[in-house]
Amino acid sequence: MRRATLFAALLAAALTACSPSVPGQSGSQASGSQAPASADRLTIGTTADVVNFNPLVGNSRTDSWVTNLMYPHLTQMDSAGKRVPYLATEWSYSEDGKTATVKLRDDMKWSDGKPVSADDVVFSVTAVQKEKFGVVAGLITALDKAEAVSPTEVRFNLTRPDGTFLDNVGFWLPVVPKHVFEKAPSVQKFANDANWVSAGPFKLTKVERGQRYIMERVDDFGPGAPTVKEIVFRVFPDVNTEVLALRNGEIDLIGNVLPPATATELKSDPNVKLEQIPSLGWAHLQYNTKRKPLDDVRVRQALAHAVDYEAIRNIALKGFAKSSNSSVLTPSLPDYADPASKEYVFDPELSKKLLAEAGQSNLSLSMIYDQADPNIARWAPMVRDSAKKAGITIKLQGLERNTYLDKTLKRDFDIYAGSWAVMDNPPANLGLAFKTDGFINYAQVSDPKLDDLIDQAQRALTQEEAKAPIQEAARIIRDQVYDNVLYVETFNIAHSTKWTGFRPMPSELLSILNPLSLASAKPAG
Amino acid sequence: MRFVGLRLARGLLTLWFAVTVTFFLVRLLPGDPVLAVADPNMTEELRQKLLADFGLDQPLGVQYLDYLGQLLQGNLGMSFRQSIPVTTVLMERLPWTLILTGSAMVVTIVLGIPLGVLAATRAKGWLDRVIQLTGVTAQSLFVPSVGIFLMYVLGVWLGWFPIGGAVDLDATGPAATLSMLHHLVLPCLSLVFIQLGGYVLTMRTTLIEALGEDYVSLAKAKGVPPGAVVWKHALRNALLPTTTIAGLQLGTLVGGAVLTETIYAYPGIGRAIYEAVGQLDFPVLQGAFVLLAAAVVVANLITDVAYGILDPRVRTS
Repeated sequence: MRRATLFAALLAAALTACSPSVPGQSGSQASGSQAPASADRLTIGTTADVVNFNPLVGNSRTDSWVTNLMYPHLTQMDSAGKRVPYLATEWSYSEDGKTATVKLRDDMKWSDGKPVSADDVVFSVTAVQKEKFGVVAGLITALDKAEAVSPTEVRFNLTRPDGTFLDNVGFWLPVVPKHVFEKAPSVQKFANDANWVSAGPFKLTKVERGQRYIMERVDDFGPGAPTVKEIVFRVFPDVNTEVLALRNGEIDLIGNVLPPATATELKSDPNVKLEQIPSLGWAHLQYNTKRKPLDDVRVRQALAHAVDYEAIRNIALKGFAKSSNSSVLTPSLPDYADPASKEYVFDPELSKKLLAEAGQSNLSLSMIYDQADPNIARWAPMVRDSAKKAGITIKLQGLERNTYLDKTLKRDFDIYAGSWAVMDNPPANLGLAFKTDGFINYAQVSDPKLDDLIDQAQRALTQEEAKAPIQEAARIIRDQVYDNVLYVETFNIAHSTKWTGFRPMPSELLSILNPLSLASAKPAG
Repeated sequence: MRFVGLRLARGLLTLWFAVTVTFFLVRLLPGDPVLAVADPNMTEELRQKLLADFGLDQPLGVQYLDYLGQLLQGNLGMSFRQSIPVTTVLMERLPWTLILTGSAMVVTIVLGIPLGVLAATRAKGWLDRVIQLTGVTAQSLFVPSVGIFLMYVLGVWLGWFPIGGAVDLDATGPAATLSMLHHLVLPCLSLVFIQLGGYVLTMRTTLIEALGEDYVSLAKAKGVPPGAVVWKHALRNALLPTTTIAGLQLGTLVGGAVLTETIYAYPGIGRAIYEAVGQLDFPVLQGAFVLLAAAVVVANLITDVAYGILDPRVRTS
């Protein structure tokens, strides 16, 4: 008996070595405690670390969320996808479309006191143009030269009229401080990992890699001082842990889009509010038009009629998805969408008929997708099963992400299943995706008529002018099944009911984490 | 002395082997590391420039020799993705992994040996059966499941422990140490949970064997008290296989740490590996593996030397 006591004592000693009795300050965060939030700190959960602090290079979600709070863009976006002012107050094209002019706010300052000026904008865009890196490089091919007309006015000289230029530069280009970045021999290789000079609503003050990123309010932020004093990004590589942390009150907001199943679960939690954010992209199937028999439009149409779109949206996405009527002009951009477009009907018999016309029997194809994408992993088998009803065999190839990307870039697939994240400007994006030799033209479309229409839309200097040709282009893409649009996801972002005042913008990139939204966030009640 | 020298030489050879395998293994990963850095829509010109920057345009043999040369000078290279030295990346993470795996190992041994003794001295009794059953079950559990379960029950439900992280943001001084220990409990417990079975079961088996030896009967016959027979006579001999396990288990522990750190949002090296694989960041991967291989080699070296101390026969053989 005496020995048993000894063991018990040992056990207790070992456990206490691992666990002190008083848990410091976090003891007050026990479950269920829902005291009102103070405006001192808003804690945001994210699944990844910041990889690169150079906003011109970093391309992960967390990179963008953090650097977007530090480096201003010329414009932001309203809930319908229209550009709204940020650093820029107004913007316009010349009559011939070969000059674009942007006027800037005069009340924005870098954190070292220097004003944010036209020189910084010119430096940022020129660095990207010269060193050709990042998302922006592919979108500013029309740029000849940028110049500062005055400290608050920038002129872009273009080699051809390009009505997408200002939308693209305004939305995608982060403006960096010239006087800091110009000291680096190569802007692209500049790590920017300490002593940040920034001009957003919050400034980065402390980084604990693997744990958190701490940002402080900038009181003299031009568009209006933020309410919350401090923003903390905390890293939770596992989404399940992240959700537990939100429920436990350790974080106030989950930055990442919730998988539909998790969103359904959280819906009933009285301490959690779900914000619904429209996606600017879409989920789709692309058929490799350079491979036989997929070069035959009847075969592609047969495949389009062999997908049960409603079932995918209702079962795999749990209803958190909208139909895009098989059009690449989605309901998220209502000013472009074409109400006449109709979704392909799920009709296996019609598929069979089309295949017979094309002289195909026992059609067997393989389909690649990223196995780590929770949504696609759910609907890929549904695509296979519905195709089977039309007598088509689809072999699923769920791949590790890097292999999947590699195969996509080499166009090494029959069917590609995936999704595009941010397609914010149809004339520009359809050019990249469907014009002959476009960077993301995975289906290898080469259609002169389509090329012409997209060019026409890109030259148009107003949206009204671009609408007719771009809708015609979208009709061709639909009818020729150059892209088979399955759905537009409705993103669910969860935050604690202790917070309010967010300004949601479309896409996971902006969401409620965009600078103007976090600047206006405040405690509820 | 010669014994230690030989073991050291063997350790270095193992290390070289690990470095070589790692070097070629990461280059067999599918995908293009340049793609992970730049946008897919980069020009071929930029692609070639990046490849040259990373030294990936050289023949594999040249890259390898270059890497070995740099490694000998203690240079682990620059991270592709983060544009900062690999040493900086790893050194920020290393202390956390050492704290986690170190504490898990200590707790496992401190609990495992007495529990093994308890089971062995009550062999076939109900307590023995309970310990055996628990040991086998715990060993076959999957770390992430244990992790989420512990977090749910002890974190969300009972509210005793924080959900993930390593230390509170506001804690300073002694409070920071307390907060660190508080955050350590659940991940440490998860690792202990899956490790403990191995120790207990080995300890139990070898001790039962030792208790059947002639010298134990002799000691009993001499009238040595039963406690002293177990703890002084039998245990020292039964400890040898357990020491071996401690060395071997270190590898498993590090593997378990990758998962544990991910689940508990613990900022260690395991997570750095997890992230670097996704980003095809070769230098970080190589650096982390070299560091871990070195840790395992050193641990085994210590085990070997400890073995020599516990059992003089090893030194002379």
